[in-house]
Amino acid sequence: MAGAAAVERRDRFGLGWRPELAAGILAHLDRVDVIEVIAEDYFGASRGDLRALRTLAAQVRMVLHGVSLGLASTLPVERKRLDRIARLIDNTGAEAWSEHLAFVRAGGIEIGHLAAPPRSEASVEGACRNLESATRIVGCAPLVENIATLVVPPASQLGEAEWIAGIVRGAGVKLLLDLHNLYANAVNCGDDPYTLLRRMPLDEVAAVHLSGGRWIDGPSGVRRLLDDHLHDVPAAVFELLRELGRLAPQPLTVIIERDGRHPPMARLLEQLDDARAALAAGRKIGP
Amino acid sequence: MSSPRLEEFLARLYTDASSLAAFMRAPAETARAAGLDEADVSAMVAADHVGLVMAAASYRAKRARRNGRRPLLQRLRG
Repeated sequence: MAGAAAVERRDRFGLGWRPELAAGILAHLDRVDVIEVIAEDYFGASRGDLRALRTLAAQVRMVLHGVSLGLASTLPVERKRLDRIARLIDNTGAEAWSEHLAFVRAGGIEIGHLAAPPRSEASVEGACRNLESATRIVGCAPLVENIATLVVPPASQLGEAEWIAGIVRGAGVKLLLDLHNLYANAVNCGDDPYTLLRRMPLDEVAAVHLSGGRWIDGPSGVRRLLDDHLHDVPAAVFELLRELGRLAPQPLTVIIERDGRHPPMARLLEQLDDARAALAAGRKIGP
Repeated sequence: MSSPRLEEFLARLYTDASSLAAFMRAPAETARAAGLDEADVSAMVAADHVGLVMAAASYRAKRARRNGRRPLLQRLRG
């Protein structure tokens, strides 16, 4: 294992590595502590592409982010998918990796995105089994991320925070807490985001995602907040980051994700500064 | 609750419009025909059906968007 599982002792702030942002990130490495690379973008990469990624990792701290393992499933993750993650970490020297608590396929059907499984003891056990395999095969444990969902997962027996805590503590892994996902799930279910935040296993949070979204209309006049990564981080999410900083004293790596409708780099850097300020404000208040 | 069979059923609803439409017309019958046990059938009948429809639409849009995305170096090489 070349680079994964480094231990951080300070808060860090960075951006998701996207082609449209590459030049801007490289021009502002003094303000970007870390980048997060989508692992699947490089599974079929040529030697040249991997060399370029390694060169990038030599300039800025890099973490890998998986989107297709489907860890939170009663079905086992295929060995070949974990082998690809292991090879990519070895080839790039990425310091850590993460994946979502989602299922993405079943019965030969590829959903093509992250879906929330029924929140049950069975899916907790399935996720823990998959995380044990992932840790053994890749060589280090992933951080696991809470996902956004427009639907309350059918056949759920556990609340979201209880379900996530069961996996995180059962598997002995750290949490990548996506605050916009948390916010969206709370408002879509009519819950209070701060209550949901405080129920999460905050002592196990090692990293944070920030992003934005938009309200969409559904049948019967229902409106729900979609986490689309196409909009600025809303003020409500920065407020949640401040609260997290108040409650979780450990060092955090905070990443802003933006997948499209990219604003000028200056705007993204402003949001990074907003994140720094929000976390610092929470730290200053304390628990 | 939560089994490979239930996950497969959900995956089908999220990816196949005709399966979702059939479920919306007759939830219990469709779930039972898919081989779900009675507890899961009841859970699917009581599920957040509006959310299922919105999630399926969202996944469809995200699949389309992701198919248009390629890594930077591949793009530069055309």
